[in-house]
Amino acid sequence: MAAAGRGDAGADPASNPGTVAVCFCESTPLLWRAGDVRTARQTGVVGTLMGSLARQPRQNCRLGRPLELLREEARLLADAGRAVLLSSSRPKSTGAANPELVKQHQEQMDQSYSEQSQLAQQDKKAVLLRVMADKKQGSNQSDQALQERLLALDHGFTFPRTAMAVQLNTARAGMSYGPEELRFLAADSLSPRDERQEARYRVFRDLRRRGFYLTTGGKFGGDYLVYPGDPLRFHAHFIAICLPMDEALSLCDLLALSRLGANVKKTVLLCSPGAEPEEVLYTSLQWSGMV
Amino acid sequence: MAESNTSVSCSSDNFYSELLSPSELFAARSRSHKIPARGQKEFLPDGSARQRERLQQSLEEHWSLISEERVERLGALVKGEWIPSKNVVVLKSPAGKFWQTMGFSEHGKQLLLPEEALYLMECGSVQVFLHDLPLSIQEGYEMFLSKDTVNLQQYQVFSHLKRLGYVVSRFDRSTVPSHYERQLNLPPERDGHGRQLKRKRSRSPSSQLPDGQGGVAGESLEMRGGETKSQRANPEDGAAGLSEPEAERMVEDVPVPSGVPERRWWVEGGADLPQSPTRPRHRGWVWETITLPDLGAHRCQPALAAPDPSLLPGRLSVGVCAMEPWLRRLNLRPERLSRRERERERSRYRRDVNDDREVRHCRSWAEYHELRRRRRNRHGRRNRPEHLWEGKVTPLLQPGQHTTAGDVLDKIGVVGASRLLDGAAGLEDSEGWKISFDVFQPDTVAEFKKSSPGKPYSRLCVCSFEGPVPDLRVLKQLAFQSGDVPVTFAVVDHGDISFYCFKDFQLPTDTSH
Repeated sequence: MAAAGRGDAGADPASNPGTVAVCFCESTPLLWRAGDVRTARQTGVVGTLMGSLARQPRQNCRLGRPLELLREEARLLADAGRAVLLSSSRPKSTGAANPELVKQHQEQMDQSYSEQSQLAQQDKKAVLLRVMADKKQGSNQSDQALQERLLALDHGFTFPRTAMAVQLNTARAGMSYGPEELRFLAADSLSPRDERQEARYRVFRDLRRRGFYLTTGGKFGGDYLVYPGDPLRFHAHFIAICLPMDEALSLCDLLALSRLGANVKKTVLLCSPGAEPEEVLYTSLQWSGMV
Repeated sequence: MAESNTSVSCSSDNFYSELLSPSELFAARSRSHKIPARGQKEFLPDGSARQRERLQQSLEEHWSLISEERVERLGALVKGEWIPSKNVVVLKSPAGKFWQTMGFSEHGKQLLLPEEALYLMECGSVQVFLHDLPLSIQEGYEMFLSKDTVNLQQYQVFSHLKRLGYVVSRFDRSTVPSHYERQLNLPPERDGHGRQLKRKRSRSPSSQLPDGQGGVAGESLEMRGGETKSQRANPEDGAAGLSEPEAERMVEDVPVPSGVPERRWWVEGGADLPQSPTRPRHRGWVWETITLPDLGAHRCQPALAAPDPSLLPGRLSVGVCAMEPWLRRLNLRPERLSRRERERERSRYRRDVNDDREVRHCRSWAEYHELRRRRRNRHGRRNRPEHLWEGKVTPLLQPGQHTTAGDVLDKIGVVGASRLLDGAAGLEDSEGWKISFDVFQPDTVAEFKKSSPGKPYSRLCVCSFEGPVPDLRVLKQLAFQSGDVPVTFAVVDHGDISFYCFKDFQLPTDTSH
């Protein structure tokens, strides 16, 4: 796979456009790169952002990367061949600094510093010139003062190192720790552990195929919230609850679910994978009177 | 590995490289810090162009927000270094404003816990290095979060609350005062340095006895020792000095190897304390050997022997204590009571239960109970008609026995009131349920002191919807661990967090008593 762009070393696995790199943190699949989040959304995988937003980190209304994926979402992406599953091992405590990389980083910083200081100087000059142009009609003395300042800029401009702007990378930038510390996971690491998880995946896949968008529905007492369009613009219509076909549901639970759906104005959808491999059966609950 | 070429400026349509060029970094200084408000959502997609357009606009806004990278001035960043072996970040430059509520000092260095460091990295306040290379947020997540530190779900709750302004710190069981300590209402410990990592309950000094195995743990001994100390400090009556410790004084029967040296507290002049190394002794204070002479008794020693100099601080030495002047201060005059008072004493107050002949005939507690029951029955017989009380079904109450309505309700109640902490003391730790964090309110941040944070607003237990709902046993155990601070359950559902708490509730009764 060819490396694209700057900073990516040759062995970066997921630099193909159209493929996302799903990185596992403990056992949760996460997407770190902005491009990956966008690609995933184009295939209908919404996920939940769970990090601080770079622009305003101290609020909870809008969060930033990483995007947390459901197991079903990661599995869907992997099955469609659009995802590479990665897991990193923690660095050994006896590891030593890699002098080559440190030198590279240092050079990068120095380069950035010199460029920024040039830019700062040009910026200041531009400001002075603009002031001069505005004061064309002004007195000679102020004009002279400005000329002097311009000259002073050329000779004695200082840009302190602490004023340099530095980027704090969100996603891992290239291969700073060597390829042996990234492990490629096989797709069956996402395979379902029990019948319920299998039911969830089947339902997810089917609903996705029908064009619905799905997000997590724990707060509403169900497995998924089903949206008719992109969750950014539309409200959810259904609360999907996934059950294996032969699992018994007591009447109390049924009543509780209906009541819940009525209270939040969403329809409760009981979903079960059928006998056929691609078949999923749906039952919706509506609370109505006997009048 | 391909050489990285850093001076080529990257075109913005290449999403796979997120590194900013120096010109972009410079331009980022004047970035806006405002977040655009989200518009109203629509109900149904109708395929119209207008909806499509609005969706595109929302999406573009969304992408621009989340693809923004953090850019900070180098002078505003605090430099830190990750130490994998100790799971802490040590600060290499002085800490900023966050030091008021986060971090701790050790050996003169400023340290941050991994979740605090990760949160500060996300805020753009701290840049953490490992092997002289800066860590990205992704690497921070992958390295700092683990089973030994905090896991991803706990970190989600932590950062959620921190973003709202709360002060969140790790829960340390040993800082919770026990019920007895709260009753005593002691002033809080003044710990000059450090926080959770340093503050552990100190072992009682007597735990330095050389026996290694067995024995009651120091903590519980303190607790139980405190509660039973009042019983043990009974002055011995009879002959002073010599004490024959009764078997009933022994509360804990803990096997301890018999090589334990016996301490003598308050060495008597020449008195020999019974040596019984085979009798089980508990670790710590040897209660039977502590004698408190009864100085008010008729035959008491004229003088108390000097204490063992090894027990005194420094080079203090104390001589023999003469009792004569002290006894003179005791009021030993015989009481002169009126006839009526004497009568009352004889009948009510000073009647020794052992004077009763029938009681002396009892050979065991069971017989004594039987005797009392018989006497009670005899007295009550005048009020208890046989047809009511001798049948299979008897009345619940005896008339005249209870006078207030509340009393009556109590007596006839079938289900007794219980509180959450009933029976909670003896429960062992449940699998998987533990309190993770202490939470303090945001408006206390101005006066918050890390060394004495005070009582938290709540304590958090992090769980998920995939796990079981906490049952009564777990609730009791966690409420007991938390002391008098309510426990809140933070349920994490793939990025969404909900908070639940269980409140103790008393059913109202109709009468006030």
